[in-house]
Formats: sequence, structure tokens, C-alpha cells
Amino acid sequence: MADKKHHPLIPELKAQMERGGLSRRDFLRYATLLGLSATAAGRMAGLVSPREVWAGSIRRGGVLKVSSQVHKVTHPAQFSWIAPANQLRHVAEYLTLTDSDNITHPYLLEKWEASEDLKTWTLHLRKGVTFNNGDPFTADDVVFTLDQWLNKDVASSMLGLLSGYLDPTGIEKVNDHQVRLHLKRPEIAVPEHLFHYPALVLNHRTFEGDFIKNPHGTGPYTLVEYREGERCVLKARSDYWQKGADGKPLPYLDGMEFIDMGGEMAPHIAAIKTGEVDVIDPGDMGGTDIFLALKDDPNITVLPVTTGQVRVLRMRVDIKPWTDNRVRQALKLCQNREKILALAYHNQGLLGQDFHVYPKHPEYCEKPIPKYDPDKARELLKQAGYPNGLDVNLAVGSDWSDVVRYAEILKEDAAPAGFRIHIQTMPASQYWEKWTEVDLGITPWTHRPLGTMVLNLGYVADDEGKPVPWNETRWVDKEFCDLVAKASGILDVEERRKVFCVLEEIMMERGPVGISYWRNVWTSARKWVHNLKAHPTNYLLTHEVWLSKRTS
Amino acid sequence: MLQVAEGTSQGKTSRRTGRRLFLGIRRTFSLIFASRTATVGFFIVAFWVSAAVFAPLLTPYSPTYQDWKAPNQGPSAAHPLGTDELGRDLWARLLYGARIVLVVLPVSQDLWLPGGTALWGVAASLALGAFLGLVSGYKGGWIDEVVMRLLDAMMAVPVILLYLIFVAAMGASAVNVVLAIAIVGTPGIARLVRGLTLDIRTRDYVRAAETRGESPWYVMFVEILPNAKGPIIIDAMLRVGYAIFAMGTLGFLGLGLPPPSPDWGSMVAKGREFILAGSPWAALWPSVAIASLVVGLNLLADGLREEAMRYQ
Amino acid sequence: MLVFILRRMLLLLLTMLLVSVAVFLITEASPGNVARNVLGSFVTPEQEASFLNQLGLDDPAPVRYLHWLVGSDWRGSRLVGLPLKRLVTEKGFVEWWARLPDGNLVRWKLDGDNLIAQIRRPDGAVEEVPDNGRWRKRADGSSYFWGLDAHNRAVLWEKGTKRKAWVFVVGSGWKEVSGGAMDYLPLKKGFLRGDPGVSLRTGRPVAKSLFIRLRNSLVLAGIAFAVVMPLALALGIAAGLREGSALDRSLSVGGMVFSVIPEFAMGIFLILIFALWLGWLPGATVFGEKAPWQRPDMLVLPVLTLTLIELGYVLRITRASMVEVMRSPYIRTAFIKGLPYRRVIFKHAVRNALIAPITVIMLHVNWLLGGIVVVEVVFGYPGLGKYLLDSALYKDINALEAGAMIMVVAAVGTQLVADILYTFLNPRIRYR
Repeated sequence: MADKKHHPLIPELKAQMERGGLSRRDFLRYATLLGLSATAAGRMAGLVSPREVWAGSIRRGGVLKVSSQVHKVTHPAQFSWIAPANQLRHVAEYLTLTDSDNITHPYLLEKWEASEDLKTWTLHLRKGVTFNNGDPFTADDVVFTLDQWLNKDVASSMLGLLSGYLDPTGIEKVNDHQVRLHLKRPEIAVPEHLFHYPALVLNHRTFEGDFIKNPHGTGPYTLVEYREGERCVLKARSDYWQKGADGKPLPYLDGMEFIDMGGEMAPHIAAIKTGEVDVIDPGDMGGTDIFLALKDDPNITVLPVTTGQVRVLRMRVDIKPWTDNRVRQALKLCQNREKILALAYHNQGLLGQDFHVYPKHPEYCEKPIPKYDPDKARELLKQAGYPNGLDVNLAVGSDWSDVVRYAEILKEDAAPAGFRIHIQTMPASQYWEKWTEVDLGITPWTHRPLGTMVLNLGYVADDEGKPVPWNETRWVDKEFCDLVAKASGILDVEERRKVFCVLEEIMMERGPVGISYWRNVWTSARKWVHNLKAHPTNYLLTHEVWLSKRTS
Repeated sequence: MLQVAEGTSQGKTSRRTGRRLFLGIRRTFSLIFASRTATVGFFIVAFWVSAAVFAPLLTPYSPTYQDWKAPNQGPSAAHPLGTDELGRDLWARLLYGARIVLVVLPVSQDLWLPGGTALWGVAASLALGAFLGLVSGYKGGWIDEVVMRLLDAMMAVPVILLYLIFVAAMGASAVNVVLAIAIVGTPGIARLVRGLTLDIRTRDYVRAAETRGESPWYVMFVEILPNAKGPIIIDAMLRVGYAIFAMGTLGFLGLGLPPPSPDWGSMVAKGREFILAGSPWAALWPSVAIASLVVGLNLLADGLREEAMRYQ
Repeated sequence: MLVFILRRMLLLLLTMLLVSVAVFLITEASPGNVARNVLGSFVTPEQEASFLNQLGLDDPAPVRYLHWLVGSDWRGSRLVGLPLKRLVTEKGFVEWWARLPDGNLVRWKLDGDNLIAQIRRPDGAVEEVPDNGRWRKRADGSSYFWGLDAHNRAVLWEKGTKRKAWVFVVGSGWKEVSGGAMDYLPLKKGFLRGDPGVSLRTGRPVAKSLFIRLRNSLVLAGIAFAVVMPLALALGIAAGLREGSALDRSLSVGGMVFSVIPEFAMGIFLILIFALWLGWLPGATVFGEKAPWQRPDMLVLPVLTLTLIELGYVLRITRASMVEVMRSPYIRTAFIKGLPYRRVIFKHAVRNALIAPITVIMLHVNWLLGGIVVVEVVFGYPGLGKYLLDSALYKDINALEAGAMIMVVAAVGTQLVADILYTFLNPRIRYR
């Protein structure tokens, strides 16, 4: 990797770290984003690189059984669930990989290079990688995949992420193993975007819109069976490009099996307790019930990780009464945050402050936790013209039990302010059908490694001034959008944080969402599963996993 | 069966009605207490009915009050049955849950009708079933044939299928639950009433009324129906049991009343999450409540039926 | 007897017809929107209309019902003017082709203004040839053609008109085209001809996923039935023989209590006791690629739940029937005649006492089905009931109809069996 010729900003970052303005962890993150290898960055930061695993302890073979959900999928770029990505990421792969520590590595890329102004990114593709149907992996595949993301007709969430800085015309194929991206504006998070869960690299020769029909990817497994609502079976291929610690190609496992056990967690828990499955992939579901039920089980490892996963109380600002900021503020004041975190999520997380920036995002600017104040809320409602209070419907997905509890607590605590909340429960699948449409609802948002990623996805407008596809609240604030664009091009964390202080302030003052808590998540596995790590996005990364128990 | 031999007398005064009502109640009670089974059943049902009626007097808590420092607790002095996952008192929720079943029908947030959800469901199926059964049994002929074949077809449909399709498709609300219960119950009641009608039709007092030139509707509803009420009442008791059972099942499947309503089935569904975490109380009590109330109604109905048969 | 069976078969058909219409109507009348369910909320009204058109969901309800019942290929065939053929490829995908007079199979696609015929050779190879000769002229100068596309639909293509259309290609999304495809008729054989259609939820044929679910449910119900019947009949007879004894009292009361405990409560209690506290049995079912009978340990708790609930019911019916028989004059006569006790019981009493329970039990299958749905949810058992619940929640009409039909057949079929058994056990009864 580009050890010799560093990005010009790297010395500056290093100086910042040495001054103390940047933590080692953040230095690692940014240095790797700029194309420095993780080992080199670690050396610069004075960290010892982890010792190689001793190959002798690893056992090959066995089938890893994962309890999960098996959704209908067609086009990977259209994923709006983690679960299918966790299954198919073993068949197709991403260009980059952001690990559990939020550090991004090249993956199907050998390396990447960014120009000094962060507007030209050169992606060097790994050579010698083949798809599981024998086709070589080339720049055409990358260009094709990028085109799919940017194609409005595909309606991929990648569009919201990328369209702010990349047009299809900005994609240049340099040669068979190099692709260059010419951005409209500086952007630092390009490599992290390439690991967003819909960003699976597709085979341009065979992909026709339905991945299940032609499941050709570069991953370590081939798709044997994909039956929606039932199971997804994967079989290891023998010519995968990554090698294990024993010098032979990965994976160590013979195969994987994802079993759909429904949206209720109880069967998942019972199944892992009795050893019927090795791992629970909570994917989009799950919450404290897994943690509470498994934390004391001696046969199970429960790996926690704090995340930017969050339940967003979102109000459609184009629908009455939420058009009035006073009403929005009033409802935000009705969140008794400590109580909500304690009861809805058993204190397993961090408190939120009504802006969608996670306290562990590097650019997070510290703000006080707002207090529960129903009297002030009632006063605001009165000013807004609702002296007798008002009736509102709150849509929640019943599969997320913590969301339902959040709603019940809010209903109780908002009553003194004059909100008469009617909770409307629906299965999660039905909630996702109308999550951008309901006027008041609680939407689960997943973790993203950078603060700018979330804001670009959900709280800005496109070039024409219309809300981006995932802007579920339709909240378009000119000042806010400009600041987000500005922040996305600032590398210096302290400078960025200054912008974020303003952004957060705006969201608290007139934003469309209430955020009460950030959730921890857990990856639970039987003790005989080795090398599995919890990932803050609930991504299931199993490349190096091996089993010390023979499964039948 | 209870008052089989009585015809209807005209021009009765209200005092006499009152006295007859009193006598009827006394006779019913003597019937209940004659059977040990019925007595036990009666006390269980009476317990839940009075619990539902006097709910506000029996607990200091509101069913939605959240004591957020004390979630998922076992029984204690402050909370006799413990608390649920939001620190709500389970005893209060059970009592108010009984209200939804037996005392009030929450049509919407603002409109609450007297009479429980289960009772409304059974009453609706009684009205419809009795009408169909009477007409079918009394008129006979092709009407009978068509109605009975249709009802046969309805009875052949698995009950759960009706519930699933109806409530899942129409959305979960008290009114839809009532409709589902009514539709499921109608064919059974219609068959029962038809059978009774065929029997009573041949009695002398019916013949007499017909000779007097009374209209068929008069004969059906004034002469026949009141004389068939014994078995109908017993059947209705069992049906209230089924209805409670059905409400529980719907709630458990996530098709019950929306939160934070203390719907027993929904309480079980939510409490289930915490069983594996070591707090079985929130799922246990409502299960016990449903089971006990249904057992009570069954005991009462069984005992009454046996007693009535002996009496005959 | 034959007439009787025929009558019952007729009733079965009538019931299925009524239920299928009812399911259709209720799904029709209920709120919710398939287009939004499938496409998400970013669709424009035009796109939504076009999507409904492409799925044939914009036809009037009676037409759609007819298509579901007897298929739409006959109509497609008339529109295209060629016979249609349905074939299943090696990979298991269903394809519809039109048969040319020379025996070759053909489909079409539109490339700009050009109609391209895709001709399938007998060896499976597909050749593309221009086929503009098929356009038919309209009076206003525009052309049209009814053909077959690669998505198993009969399509009305137009050219030369001003109209624009949205096309949704599964996977690659929306495209706006001028002229092009204007009307669609998705092809299917219809339920009566063994094709329940494609699930809207999974996009795959209903029949495939339904089969395994049905098998799993049958295993569960079958085992429960096999356990319950002998046990309940034996206990019921034992209780009925000694009416009023302690055994009788405890069995009847216990039976009733168990039979009115809701299945979900029973399931939860059993998981609590056997899976959690004692740790003897798994509390959930995970089969993977295995069939249920290959994991008997996982079947124990679901079966036990069903058994306990059904046991009480059957036991009580049997007991009641036995008590009645034992009081009857002919049994008394038999005893007075001095016949040995065992002979009276087994030769006369038991046989007569079984008539009532067997018919009632068969009628009870109706309830058993309900129990199975709940038990499947409690234990995460991949059966028909869970499938039906999910389909109902998603308004997946094809899957829901197919599942409902299976349930009706199960319920009515067992009633028929009950009636036949009844005549067998009681030869005095003759059906008209």
C-alpha cells in the first residue's frame, strides 16, 4: 500500500495527533481513509500491530449455523435491511472494509489514493480476484456497480449517500484495474461509503437485476439455496482470493446456513441456548432481550459494542401539526430520556440529544442532555394554537419491542403536556412500507461510522432542492444543507467539529427529530465459535471464523 | 328448560314482571348452588366480574402508571403481583384488562361502550344466530336448506383462519375483534336455535298462537324464542369463554388492542420477552387470568347444564 | 352412502368457493396497498398505476378473481393469437412461451421501435430475429401488437402514439418509455389447474414454499393426534367406567382445566419448565435443511403442548359417552343376564361409547388447526400456520388464498372421514 508516498494531509494529521487535537483512534481512522495501510498508520501512531494468530490452533471444517431472517431480495443496491447483506456479503463483496474499530481497510481494492483537494479518488483494484463463476474481477464490474447505485431508476440508498458529490459522468475507467472518481466537491468518507451495506460489487457480465438468479460474486462462498422466509445456504468455494493463517485459501468453514426464525427473538434465544444455532444475527431486530437472556449463560459469549444505532422519533415537517416548530419542540421536551433509556433499553446505551450525531462520532460536539419539561411543552403548544392539547397518531413497528416501550413511555409522559398520543402498532415489514410517509413515527436507523454520512442520507436536499430519498421528515433547511456539504469536505477534525457544533444546534432548535438514546448491540455466539467480532453496524464478518466443535 | 312450560301472558304489570324476575333469579341461583361444579365456576366468574366492575376501588394504581424505578419486579407489598417491563402494576393491569373483556368495549379512544368486548361479540353472534336459526327452523323449506348449507360451509372454515384473515386484514381493534367473534359464533348458535325451534314449534301454545292469527314474526320472537332461552344461555356462557380465549390468542399473535391497553393476550406477548431473562411474572399472570376465567365459565355452564337436565 | 359422500364433496367445494371469495373480498376491502408494500414509498402515482397494471391488479375485482381461479393464459392466448405453453426451466424458473405454427417457441421484446422475436430452439438456445411484420395498424396511423415478454406476461406494445409509460423491471427499477408497453396480462394457470400463483411477498411460486410448510404442519399435527387419541380414549373410558370415583373426578376436572388453558400460555409454561429450569429439551425448533422427524427432541414440546390441550377435550367427551352407555338399559340387561364383566365392557359398552367421541374429535380438527397456528408461533416452528399469519399480515393474496384452501380441505375432509367412520362404527345408520 502507499507507504512511501503518503497523502500530503497525513503529516498534518500526525501533527494534530501529537498536539492532542486528534485521538490515536481518530488518527488511525483518517490516515487509513487517506490510503495509508492500517499497519503503517498504527506504526505512526505508536501502536503495536496485533500478533499474527497462531495457525496451529485453527481447525477447518464445519457449518456455521446462524439464526436470522431471510428476506426477499432482488437487487443488492436496493437493500434496506442488514440481514440480506449479512447473508450475501459472503457471496459478493465490498471494495473496502470498515472494521469493528471504525477503521476502513482496502478489500477488493488493493489501495486507494486521494488527491490533495479530496476531489479525485483513484481506486486500485486487487488483481487475481475471480467471481465464483470464473469471470475475472475488473474495472468494468466496479464501473457497472457504481452506475447501478447512481441510477435513479434503481432507487438505491447509495444514491442519497453519493449523489451529493458524484455523478455518473465522474466515473472514469483508467484501465482494467483502476477506476478514478472525479467528485463534485471534496469528500472524505468515500472509502467508508464503499462499505455501506447495499454496496456489494456485482458481476457486470451476468447481473440482470436479480442477484438470486445469478448469484455471482467474489466472496468466499457460493449461494446454494435462498428461500425467502426459510433459509439461505452457503457453501465454501475452493479458489477464494484470501488466504488463512495456515496458508490455504479461506474460509475455514465448509459452509454457512442462515435460518429464518422470524421477527420474535424468543425462538432465536432458545435456539442458541440449546446449541441449535451457533450465532444469532440480530440484523435489524433484536435488542436487550438477547442480552438479558444470554449474559449469564456460561456457554455463550455476548460481545457488546456501543453503536450509533438509534430509534428516531421523526416528525413530517410538511404535515400539520408538525409544520410548526413549536409543536415539534414541545414533543421533544416530553422525552424523559433517562427513563426511556432505563425502561426501553435497560440502560444499555448512551443518552441522545435530538440531533443525529452519535457521541462517538469524531466530529461530535458536546451538548447538554435536554431535560424533561412537560410544562414548557404545554406552554409551547398553547402558543402554537393548541391550548386544549392535540391528538396525534404515532406509528411504531411492533417487532422492535424497545420501540414499542419507547412509544408507551412517551405517551404517558407527553400526556401532561397535552399530547394525546394514539399508538398504532404494525409489523416491522408494514412499518418499512410507509416509514417515509407516516407523519409521526419511530424509525430505527443503523450505525454509520461518520457523522456526515448520516446527515447526508437523511437530512438534506438533492441538487434540485427536493429532500433526498431517505429524508423521511422532508426537513430541508438551507443553512443546514450548506453546512453539511461544507463539513463533508473538511478533513481537520477540530474544524469539522466547529461546523458540527452549529449543525447540532440547528437540529436541536428546529430539527425534525427527537433522539432519546443510542443503543448498544451484542453479537452472541456459542463459545465454540472463534474469531467472531461484534460490529457496530451489526455486520456479520465471518471470514476468519472457525469452529472448535464439529457440527454434523 | 328453565321455564319450559310457561306460555306468555299478556297485560302483565311491571310489579308482576319484577316479582317473576326475582323468582327467576332465585331459581337460577338455587340451580347454581345445587351443583358443586357450578358453584365453583360461579365464584370464579363472580370474582372476575366484580374485579372488573370495581377495578378502580381495588387498586391504587392506574393501569398505565409507570413506576420507572421498579420494572420487571416480582410480587411485593407495593405491587401484589409485581410489575411489568415499564414498572406498571400487574394487578392493576389485570383488573383493567378484565374490564375490556367483561365491562367496556373501547370503540375508539373517546368512545367506550358498556359491555365487554367478549360480551359484545357473543351478543352479536346471539342476535344474528338466533334470527337465522328461528327463521330457518320455523319457515323450513328452501329457506332452511339455503341457510343451513351456508352455515355448514361457514362452520367448516377453521376458526383461526377466520380470525387471521379478518383481524389481520382489517387491522387490530376492539370492533374488529367483536366482529370476528360474532362471525365465528353465529353458525353454532343458529344451529342450536334451529333445533330448539323445530321442537318448540310443535307445542300447543305455538299452535294456539298460530290459530289466533298471530304473525309469523310474533310467533317466532314472542312464543318460541323465550321458551328456548335456557339452552341458549348455557351455550352463550361457553361462547363467552371461547371469545375470551380468542381475544387472548389474537393479542398473543400481535393482533390485540393497541398498546398501552391492558389487553391480556398482548400482555402475555410482551411479557414473553422477559421470561428468558428471568422475569416470568408479566407473562404468567395474564395467562392465569385467561385460563381461570375460561375455566370458571366452563364450570358454571357445565354445572348448570347437568343440574337443568336433572331438574327436567 | 355414495350419494352422501358426493353431497359432502359438494359441500366442500361450496365451502372452498365461499371462503376463496370471502378472503378475496376482505383483502380487497381492507386498507393497505400492495404497490407500496412492494415498491416502497418513493413511487409516484403514475408509477403505482403502472405497477398495478403490470401485475394485472388494475383489472376489476371479479376479473382478477376469475384469473386467480381458472387462470389467464386462455385470455392471453386469444389476445396474442397463438397457443401458449408453460415450461419449467432446468433451474426451476417458470416461463411462458407462444408456440409458432412451425412448433418453435417464441417471445418478443421491444428495442426502440423494433419488435424483436426471441425464438427458442428445442435445445433451449434462444435466437433473436427482427419481427416488425407483426405490427398491426390502427386508423390513426399508430401500430400495436399483443405479444409475450420475458416476464411471463402478455403485453400490448404500441408505437407511434404520444403516450408515455413507466416500466418497472424487477431489479433495475423504473424506466420511462414512449410508446412501448401499454397493457399487461400476467399469465397463470389458475388455482383450479394447480397453479396458486406467485407470492407477492417473496416473488416466488406459492406452491413451492407451501409444500414444505404443509408437510411440517402435518408432521406436528399427526404426531399430536397419534398420541392424543389412544391416550384420551383409554383415560376417558377408565373415568367413565367408574363414574364419580376419585379417578373420574380428577381426570374430568384436570382435563377441563387443561383444555381451556390457551395454547400460548401452555407453551410458555412448558418452555419455562422443561427448557429453562430443567434444561431437558430445546425450547424452540430449528430444522435447517432437515425434516422435522429427524429432530424428534424438538418436536417434544410442541407436541406436548398440543397434546395436553386436546387430551382434556377428547377425554371428557369419551367419558361422557361412556357414562351414558353404562347407564343404558341394554348394558344393564347384559349384566343382569350374567355376562362376564369384561365381555360386557369390551364387546358392548366401549364400541358404542366410541361413536360419539370419534365424530366430535373429527369436528374438533377445526380447533386443532387454531392450536397449531399458535404453537407454531410460540416455538418458531416453520409450518403452515405461521406462513398463513405472515401472508395475512402482508396481504399476500395468492399465498393467503392457497393456505386458506388447504385449511378448509383439512377441516372439511376430516369431517367427511368422521361421517364415514360413524357409519362404520354404527351400522344402524344409513345415509340417504
